[in-house]
Amino acid sequence: MSTETLALIPLLPLVAAAITSGMQCGRRAAGIAVAAMLGSCVLALMAFSESWGMAEGVHMHEPFNIEWLTIGDTVINFGFVLDPLTGVMAAMVTFVGLLIFIFSFGYMKDDPRMARFFCYLSLFAAGMLGLILANSLLLLFMCWEIVGVASYLLISFWNHKPEAAAAGKKAFIVTRIGDMGFLIGILLAFKTTGTLMLYDGGAGLLETEMAGTVFGFKTAAVVSLLLFCGAAGKSGQLPLHVWLPDAMEGPTPVSALIHAATMVAAGVFLVARAMPLFVDGGTLWVVAWVGALTALVAAFIALGQYDIKRILAYSTVSQLGLMMVGLGVGGVAIGMFHLLTHAFFKALLFLGAGSIIHGCHEEQDIRKMGGVWKSMRVTSIAYLCGTAALVAFPFTSGFFSKDEILASAWAANRPIFWIAAFASLLTAIYMTRQCLYVFTGAHRGEHEPHESPKVMTVPLIILAVAALGLGALAHEPVFGKLPGSAAPHGTIVIVVSVAVALGGILIGWLFYGGRKLGEGTDPLAVAPLREKLWFDELYAATVGRLWNLMAIIWEQLNELLLFVRDMVVALARALSSAVAIGGDRRFIDTFAFDGLCQKLRDCGWAVTRPQSGFLSSYLRLIAFGAVALGLLLFWMI
Amino acid sequence: MTQEITFWVLAVIAVLGALVAVRRRNLIHGVFALMIFFAALAGLFLLLLAEFIAAVQILVYIGAVGILLLFAIMLTERVTGDNARDITSRGSFWGWVAALAVLVFLLLPAIQSADLPQTTEPYNPSVKALGQQMMNPYVVTLEVLALLLTAALIGAVAAAQGGEKNKEDADDA
Amino acid sequence: MTLENCLILGAVLFCIGLLGALTRRNAVVVLFSIEIMLNAANLNFIAFWRFSENPAVLNGPLFALFTIAVAAAEVAVGLALVIAVYRHFKTVDLEQLDTLKEE
Repeated sequence: MSTETLALIPLLPLVAAAITSGMQCGRRAAGIAVAAMLGSCVLALMAFSESWGMAEGVHMHEPFNIEWLTIGDTVINFGFVLDPLTGVMAAMVTFVGLLIFIFSFGYMKDDPRMARFFCYLSLFAAGMLGLILANSLLLLFMCWEIVGVASYLLISFWNHKPEAAAAGKKAFIVTRIGDMGFLIGILLAFKTTGTLMLYDGGAGLLETEMAGTVFGFKTAAVVSLLLFCGAAGKSGQLPLHVWLPDAMEGPTPVSALIHAATMVAAGVFLVARAMPLFVDGGTLWVVAWVGALTALVAAFIALGQYDIKRILAYSTVSQLGLMMVGLGVGGVAIGMFHLLTHAFFKALLFLGAGSIIHGCHEEQDIRKMGGVWKSMRVTSIAYLCGTAALVAFPFTSGFFSKDEILASAWAANRPIFWIAAFASLLTAIYMTRQCLYVFTGAHRGEHEPHESPKVMTVPLIILAVAALGLGALAHEPVFGKLPGSAAPHGTIVIVVSVAVALGGILIGWLFYGGRKLGEGTDPLAVAPLREKLWFDELYAATVGRLWNLMAIIWEQLNELLLFVRDMVVALARALSSAVAIGGDRRFIDTFAFDGLCQKLRDCGWAVTRPQSGFLSSYLRLIAFGAVALGLLLFWMI
Repeated sequence: MTQEITFWVLAVIAVLGALVAVRRRNLIHGVFALMIFFAALAGLFLLLLAEFIAAVQILVYIGAVGILLLFAIMLTERVTGDNARDITSRGSFWGWVAALAVLVFLLLPAIQSADLPQTTEPYNPSVKALGQQMMNPYVVTLEVLALLLTAALIGAVAAAQGGEKNKEDADDA
Repeated sequence: MTLENCLILGAVLFCIGLLGALTRRNAVVVLFSIEIMLNAANLNFIAFWRFSENPAVLNGPLFALFTIAVAAAEVAVGLALVIAVYRHFKTVDLEQLDTLKEE
């Protein structure tokens, strides 16, 4: 596959974004965006098959480098790389993205700014694909930022809602904090190795040893941790997870695309891509522990939420934590496997939620839903397939991927295993709770829900099939090509994982099965969980206050600088007038120039004085001259 | 010994004569003092064994130049009475300074520093020898001098007569 | 009567003449001050000749002779000029004869 063809994969959506940015008609814009995405999908599948065909043992990364910027001796390259990791990610992103684009066509049909929506979606897709394919850390970062901007635009799409605008800002700012660490990591990597290319025929960042230490730690370790900062921001790990639930303010396709399949996966992808650095630096345990804690805390909070999308958001955070655990204890294959399966079933769940919301007339509170099973059969079945995959019901795709994680954790790090297992238990519980709230009983809203149009349900069905079947299908190929091996599956692991999944469902049923839902209190949604463990409040009180204080200080400083500036201007003015009037006019003109002329005139007059016409004075002068001459000669001789 | 005394007497007379000549307000007195000066100088020439020159000095200077000066004074100035004007000119102080400067800084140092020959035996030239020198080595000088005198004569007549001619013409017209 | 004394006498007389030339207002007085100076120079010549090594050359008296002749001629012409000036300007006061200066 040539560089040009590879470059087309992110370029097609970029061009679509450019074209649709000025369009007004939503349907046409949607058409262009979908067409571009379709093209990218086809190319990505081709690339995927090619990368899958790469020989074992031979270096599987094929770099395509383009010289971009030359500063003195340093050359900064752009480039794309095609290896199994890239191939599988690109295929997944384009496929899921295509389905979501089609779903959005139905969902956003009545929105007046539909064309702009597709423009932003295409931009996002372009950034995401560029990020995946990038061989240069700089290009990766640039696409990372594009993805961040696009997500801001998409989350705050309904900008007449102040919550949406605030959510978009929050997402951007929190991920920015992570990006700072990422940038410093890039700079440090560049300084240490002199290159920003990941694979460069043996000279790339990921291929050479990072020499030296930074503050006493191995450089590779520091760089990997800094990169993990960026990943933590984008993937919503503790403590930078606070933007993810608020991002649910955006339209549902956005939630599906960004928070299920792609953007949040970018962080996991970055860790997977930079795995050599993590291994070299020995920092995988940080990744695993952060992931484990995130999984646990998010799962707890999900128990207390009432908004259908918010539950799913916290679920995403929790699953991302599990992915990080997978990467940390098991390696690229294990983490990426769960990423793959999660992409499909989470997208399915979000799109399903969107369909439900649409069907329940834009209602999002689960307490006001109920009895959806009866009215929206297709959506409900698809949603339940997704739920099964999420709770790792045996033989779903989620079961296989989570099983691998638990197995690796059992082998590598026992405490993490128990944490992950407990998180999985909680996952089953809150998902059961949600399903019972939504699907069972009589409808508690005003109007009966209605099924969504085909354009929305067909993608759901496709995703449902994938959610169920992908696990079995993809297991062997994934583990064949990606680095990292499957841990041996001990009996204990299998028992625990099955017990956790089924047990969770059971517990959920016990708590919520028979009750009258919606009225009265929710037994598990206690205050701390409902209030998201007060993370936002904590941040506002500490960091928020600090920032306000700094803003005040800087404003005062600004005033001071303005004052200084005024002083300087006044001083300059005084100086210039002094020089102009005093210096120029008085000194030069009067004293020097006119004065000089006058002096010359006086000198001239003085010189004419001896010519008096007075003979005696002439004679005297001659006498004096003779004396002077004689003295001169006398002294000289 | 007598030579010394004679020398000094003649020197004093010469100096005094010159001083009176230049400082006297009355010009006729000044001219007479000048003549005494010339005479003293002639005496000095005699002492220095240049008798012919002494004679010529008396003849020319006292006889011709002095009389000429008298005539000039009488023609141009009123002799007595109102020489009330100050004889010294404006800034005469500087004139004194100049003259003294010349004496002190120029002439005397020259005399002091020169390597002067001492007294030799006297040599008494004859007039014949003088004539012979004039004719032989210095004949050109003699002829030029004659020319010079002729030119001076003509020039003096022309200069002095110029005014009379104009007056005559004016009267005629 | 040493050469040095003669020379000093000559110098003094010369300066007296110079004094007259520089100080007096009357043109005629200036002329006879010049005569004094010329005579002092003559004295110098004769004095040097008297004490020289080869007096037979008679360069002293000869030079003095020529000087006297020239001086006489010069006085004649000078006085003629003075008379001419007197006729024109009606004065021989040097102070008043200042047409040489630029106006």
